[in-house]
Amino acid sequence: MNRRKLIALSAVFVTAVAALLISSQTVLVSARNGGARGQNGDREEPPPPFYNPYPTGILPADLNSEIARVLREVDNIEFEALAQLRALPSPTLTNQPPILAHTGQRLNVLLGKVMNFDKNISPFKDRACGFCHMPYVGFSGPIPSVNLTMVAYPGSFQFRAGKRTAQRYTYSPSFPVLNYNETQAAFFGGNFWDSRATGYKLGSPDEEQAQGPPVDTQEHMLPDTACIAFRLQTAVYKPFFIEVWGDAIDTIKFPHNTEEICGTPGGASVFGTNTMPIKLSSADRSIANDVYDHWAQSIDQYETSPDVSAFSSKFDAFLHDPATNPLTADEMAGYNLFRGKANCNSCHLDGRSTAPTPATGTAPNGEDTGAAADTRPVFTCFGSANLGLPLNPRDAIYYQDKPDFFGFTANPFGFGFRDLGLGAFLRSGPGSWASPNDTWTQFAPTSDGQMQTSSARNVALVPPQCPTTEAPGPYFQKEFFHNGYIKSLKQLVHFYNTRDVFAFQFNVTSGHCPTGTTEKVDCWPMPEVPNNIDMTIGKLGLSDTEENQIVAFLQTLSDGFTRPYPDINTFTGMCTTCNPATDPNCSSSRQGNNFLIPTPSPLPPCASVICGVAPLPGPKPIP
Amino acid sequence: MNRLLPTLAITVLTGGLLLSNPISAQFVPSAKKAAHVRILKGPELESATENLTIIRWTSDNPGGSPEHFGVVHYGTDPKNLSQTAKSHIRLNPTHSYTVFRVRMDNLKPRTRYYYTVDSMEPNGRSDGVTSPIKTFTTP
Repeated sequence: MNRRKLIALSAVFVTAVAALLISSQTVLVSARNGGARGQNGDREEPPPPFYNPYPTGILPADLNSEIARVLREVDNIEFEALAQLRALPSPTLTNQPPILAHTGQRLNVLLGKVMNFDKNISPFKDRACGFCHMPYVGFSGPIPSVNLTMVAYPGSFQFRAGKRTAQRYTYSPSFPVLNYNETQAAFFGGNFWDSRATGYKLGSPDEEQAQGPPVDTQEHMLPDTACIAFRLQTAVYKPFFIEVWGDAIDTIKFPHNTEEICGTPGGASVFGTNTMPIKLSSADRSIANDVYDHWAQSIDQYETSPDVSAFSSKFDAFLHDPATNPLTADEMAGYNLFRGKANCNSCHLDGRSTAPTPATGTAPNGEDTGAAADTRPVFTCFGSANLGLPLNPRDAIYYQDKPDFFGFTANPFGFGFRDLGLGAFLRSGPGSWASPNDTWTQFAPTSDGQMQTSSARNVALVPPQCPTTEAPGPYFQKEFFHNGYIKSLKQLVHFYNTRDVFAFQFNVTSGHCPTGTTEKVDCWPMPEVPNNIDMTIGKLGLSDTEENQIVAFLQTLSDGFTRPYPDINTFTGMCTTCNPATDPNCSSSRQGNNFLIPTPSPLPPCASVICGVAPLPGPKPIP
Repeated sequence: MNRLLPTLAITVLTGGLLLSNPISAQFVPSAKKAAHVRILKGPELESATENLTIIRWTSDNPGGSPEHFGVVHYGTDPKNLSQTAKSHIRLNPTHSYTVFRVRMDNLKPRTRYYYTVDSMEPNGRSDGVTSPIKTFTTP
């Protein structure tokens, strides 16, 4: 080897090592909060250091570039929505009661859209609602690597993160006000996985849902709801807000330190327990509260509109005219399984009464009396269930047990945290909201572990360049259920089908399946919450082919078939592909298994402030 | 930051009760209550491990509330089935029959148990299932 070649090779080697070092340190080196701060001259201090209590591998290596990518996409949609607003003819205020005639509804929808994609609604002006809810995935989590690793999305002060997956917006406005049905001894309605946005005040769970993330300590992180009115006072779209809701917003006199307060993440020790650190007069506080309600109402109108809840799937076309829009043989077989042998529509109501009589299996038979189908079924009963999902040790929440720069600790319990879902909300427990109804508290033990039954619509929605959620792809890596444990629709159906089939499910946690078994294939770890486990599912007797047929049916529930889904083309990232010949996990059954990590063993017991609060979980304590 | 002193909370909360949205009606279908609920298959042991046993049976669809519970009355003395396990299922209201499955946690190992089954609505109202006394032994 001559000297020139040696030098060249050495240079390549050094460059490669440097590149590796840089890429492995990407998160550590380049992550700085508040990139947007200072741009407007509203900050002089250097940005606070990032918060990274995570062991290596919890944060994905491409996190910073993916955050930047989604922020660009958010800006693009915001720009487009502003143009749509400006192009809209003004409505005419008329009638008694007053109506914004002609274009008033579209105005309110587009106002909701520009607010939904406004990054200024966060301390560091770097998080919009849309950051965690992008249209090309049915308004759920838009970063494949986050869906594969940390589950919850990083909020405005990086890298605080929540604890659950981002739920789809689509059809969330259909959920009724949370109510306890005494006859059925069960809760129906609400928004969020734990139904904590009840709708008790505004009459709409979806509106009250929209009021959560802006002041969530791990999402937008604004420390005071009045920060919304403060930021809207300088929003470029304020004239449209005033057109819909009136000009009272301009009368609020904010104190001189408001920007400083709104630029500090909620939960900061400087605020103590004060949830209204902006000093406002009583009258101004009332107006700011009204503005916050209007914020939620307009966003709800956006989510209700065909821009989001489109009813434009292949299944909708089939319902409208099955002769012209038939399902394929596999899709139809999947549909019959969905409402027959697999019994999915006992909770994911499909608007039909029953299945055609299946020839075989353990399925309930029945006559199809469903001639008068619901033409807009939303594929949920609005109830909640504990499906017995295992604890997912990749969830970012478990690692946030140390105070950050602002003195905030998201989860002091570490792996002593358990997600009791609806039960935690009914006890007004940590990580949820205060319950507005004390008479519900008694039902906490029979609700522990229950999570909202999502609409099955758009569970498979993906951007056009990544046409599936399933490996080998090219696919878009999504995450499913509240804790993102499931990584493909095949796994999702297989879980329903075989949860109770494989013997090792009862005594191992995730990452500890015995040698010779494959987690999610023939080993399901024990449930995180062993109480109230729903037994409608767990052993359905479906074959591998039948599982695939149900997946095929679920894919017919994606909007965008009868007409293009709005903003579906806004994804600018990369699809995932893999090679089954070289990667044993390159299949829909094992997708994501490369990223399994062991749950701590022994798992610390459930923290007493979660599981030791009356009425105690029962009949058995939660380990 | 240091200038941000904790402030007194403003205690005036406004009503803010504004325009409420018409919400689509809750859709929870109920079926006509069956007059007589017969067991069509089982009850039988679906699976048994050291930590968990599942009993399974199929009956006529009992109807009534879609929210339903399978119930197992059990004990080590066939004349004293004093213990109870129950598990939630959701009926498919117009399916003609229903599979019930009940989890029984933490039974004693290598022990013979006797049991009967029933199903009930959430309010505790029994479906009146007539079940033979069956038996199994834990591993």
